[in-house]
Amino acid sequence: MRHAYLSFAGKRLAQAAVVILLAYVFTFIVVSILPGDPVTNVLRNPQNGFSEEEIQSIIAAQGLDRPVLVQLWSSLSSFLTGDLGLSLRSSRPVTTMIAEVLPSTLTLATSALTVALTLAVLIAYGTQFLPKRWGQGLLRGFPSLFLSVPSFVIGLVLIHVFGFKLGLFRVIEPDSAWATFFAAVALGIPVSARIAEVLIANLDQEARQEYAAVARSRGLGQAALFFRHLVKPSLLPVVTVVALSFGELLGDSLITEAVFGRNGVGSLVQRSVATQDLPVLQAVVSLAAAVFVLVNLLADLVYPLLDPRVTLIGPARQSPTKAVETAAPGAAA
Amino acid sequence: MQRTPRRRGPLLLPRKAKRPAAVLRRRILVIVPVISRSAGTDRPVSSHREQANFQMLTSSSLFSGTRRRLLAALFATSLSAFAGLPAADLAHAETRQGGDIVFLIDSLGDTWIPNNSAISSFQGHIWGHVTDKLVYVDAEGKVSPWIAERWEQNPTATEFTLHLKSGVTFSDGTPVDAAAVVANLDIWYAGRKAEGINPIGLFPKTYDHAEALDPVTVKVTFKKPTLGFIPTLGYHGSILISPKTLVQPASTQADLGKTAGSGPFVVASWKEGDYVKLVKRKDYNWGPPAVGQTGPANLDSITYKLVSEQSLRVAAVQSGQADVAYNPSPQELKSLKEEGFTVATPRYLGFVDGLALNTKVAPYDDIKVRQALQAGINRQEIIDTVYTPDWKLATSFIQSNVPGATDHSALLAYDPAKAEKLLDEAGWVKGADGVRVKDGKPLSLTLHANPYLATAKAIDELLAQQLGKLGWKVDIRAYDVVTFGEKVRYGSPTVPAYEVSRSFIDAGTVAGILTNANNGENWFALDERDTKLNTLRDQIAGAGSVEARAPLLDELQAYLLSQAYFVPRTQMVQRIYVQSPSLKGETYNGLALASYYTASKVD
Repeated sequence: MRHAYLSFAGKRLAQAAVVILLAYVFTFIVVSILPGDPVTNVLRNPQNGFSEEEIQSIIAAQGLDRPVLVQLWSSLSSFLTGDLGLSLRSSRPVTTMIAEVLPSTLTLATSALTVALTLAVLIAYGTQFLPKRWGQGLLRGFPSLFLSVPSFVIGLVLIHVFGFKLGLFRVIEPDSAWATFFAAVALGIPVSARIAEVLIANLDQEARQEYAAVARSRGLGQAALFFRHLVKPSLLPVVTVVALSFGELLGDSLITEAVFGRNGVGSLVQRSVATQDLPVLQAVVSLAAAVFVLVNLLADLVYPLLDPRVTLIGPARQSPTKAVETAAPGAAA
Repeated sequence: MQRTPRRRGPLLLPRKAKRPAAVLRRRILVIVPVISRSAGTDRPVSSHREQANFQMLTSSSLFSGTRRRLLAALFATSLSAFAGLPAADLAHAETRQGGDIVFLIDSLGDTWIPNNSAISSFQGHIWGHVTDKLVYVDAEGKVSPWIAERWEQNPTATEFTLHLKSGVTFSDGTPVDAAAVVANLDIWYAGRKAEGINPIGLFPKTYDHAEALDPVTVKVTFKKPTLGFIPTLGYHGSILISPKTLVQPASTQADLGKTAGSGPFVVASWKEGDYVKLVKRKDYNWGPPAVGQTGPANLDSITYKLVSEQSLRVAAVQSGQADVAYNPSPQELKSLKEEGFTVATPRYLGFVDGLALNTKVAPYDDIKVRQALQAGINRQEIIDTVYTPDWKLATSFIQSNVPGATDHSALLAYDPAKAEKLLDEAGWVKGADGVRVKDGKPLSLTLHANPYLATAKAIDELLAQQLGKLGWKVDIRAYDVVTFGEKVRYGSPTVPAYEVSRSFIDAGTVAGILTNANNGENWFALDERDTKLNTLRDQIAGAGSVEARAPLLDELQAYLLSQAYFVPRTQMVQRIYVQSPSLKGETYNGLALASYYTASKVD
């Protein structure tokens, strides 16, 4: 089993390396196709008063007039040796710039995920056990509501109510505990909706199973039934959704960071896209690809722990997801 | 006693006074007379009654901290009630020492390499506090001494001698001496292009070399007459940086925390795309005399914090979480003023907001069509609908506060009847749909909204309405900064009108920019076709004195506007500030950048 685990992980890591490399090259090509470049964008600001000849001489001096393939090769070769280079926009080392913003985004993403999971579980619990007259049906509408309200709207409302009206946090200190909490809420709410939807559907299915009826008939309490029996079998698809949501969290953090004035990876990407800062963009895209691949790998490795029927390498070399699908009807029987 | 409504200038106080109790007693003696710089005239505003109040006010400083402030406020209020003075006026009587302010800004720009960032509308704010310049240029374009105490030039304006203040140091301890100034002049002129350190774009291209005659004297030589040199030393780009910083590679210069200037503030901490915190330099003693203060700053610290959401910046100032919000929407200004916030719309020295017409693109090769455009724009309506009364009508193609700008409002009067007549004469006939046609082609105008001006598109839409009534068919294109830079150029066959936004410090450089001489930008695509314009340009460039140049500049302005090469829209305001009423005494220089060196907080 351990050997299977390791070889599976090794194979996935090799795939990850290919994905990251492709992401790197793809970013380079896309940004190169766009008109302009970071250096001339700054130089062409009319305030500078540079003539076209001066601009061309500066571009040539920095080697930005070389053919795209030559530039790609030189950047790729230094990337492979671990040198991410200097930002074209700020002239600072890319590694320093990413190291500055990464902690903020990781804090935000993990807090948002915590908020999302908590909310999702609370909603799901409510849909199973809240009496109908206390709004069980209403609770079932929450996920669709959460999904349809954009996170920036939630963010602005939170800032105005809790920041300006109640004075819980100052907008100029976005890294304070309260500000981080509300940013996590804004970012976590839409994610919680997706998790809750899947969780509710599975819980409904599990609650209809005979074992649930048996447990109830034996006098098991609601909470015990929920946490001891219903949750575990419902979690498998939730793990998939959480893994996918992690990507969403990284993407959405761009907007949430802008709204809350946080300085994270999202705002770094925003600035770099606006100025076509290729070295930074390539580094961030590669990083995002790495995180995405790793999180999904982690999810794959977690499946067998949740459900012993899932094996990573079956005789038919089934993919884990397929294994789940084929295993499910057996469970219902 | 007549009272000034609001005193922008700081009160002259002994700057070296440390902090309260014992020293304050001395201050009471020296405070007579307190001087206000309001309305341009120095006039004492202190009265015996005010001094008496002040004495009471300062006596409360025996207590400390908040309680002291509270008591002071109480004293002030009750006393002024007795004396029949408005309480707010008392607060002015003392330039309060200490205090921290937060300035919310929409961007902190790209790089911090001094040469590449000094002209930025964003980083320029920080550089203005961290660095000094050789000369000071105020909002009216008046040049006065700063680090250069005085200067001389030869009759042909090709050699300048600068005499520097002694005892000035950069924050890394290096003296600001002749050698340091030469190092700065050299890098402003040439940059280090291969490394990504750009030259300063508007530094005179005629620069030859500079030499240190002795530690406080620099001689600067030019290849051709360069009357604009001294004003240029007060321009954004000309910030004095320690030679120890200048020899560093670009990647080190990009680290703001490692750069040393000689300004009244130093960088305490910073984070890219987040904030810059400046703290006051206690031994600073060489401020520009023109702002009425030469000692250390009054405030302890200034934090520039990036908040990209426009509404959040303003809301944070309204709720008291910050002191200044940069670039609010012009539409909000009226209500903010009514709420008691200070609104500033300073104008920089430069071109007005307007259109440079391309004389190679039909029909703008026809002077009658150009003149019809000049007469067909209702400029007052732009101010009434897009802006507020804080904006001013253009009186020339350069801002009216530029020295040498003359009033040519008559040439810019709105006269639709004249415009229609000119178009009729030029053979443009109105069709059934109201669009004028000549030889089967409609009278069209494509406007590319200036991406550096937030209100550009709104103005273009208004122009489309105004010109539409006269028979124009106006297309508006709005590009982002990147695409604009690529696609929209002066003289391009697809760009009949280029929307100009550009500051400059000396009107003498204007004619050179407009034409194609000396790497000029050839704004109207005239090449060498207009001999009168070229003659004026050469005469202005060769002028040895401001007096000899003034009539030439006047003639240039009248000529450009009557030929309708340049069609002004309004005077340009690119920087708008909303400020808490508790912050007073800031100054705005010729670049419309706010300086809080002289500012202080009042309760």
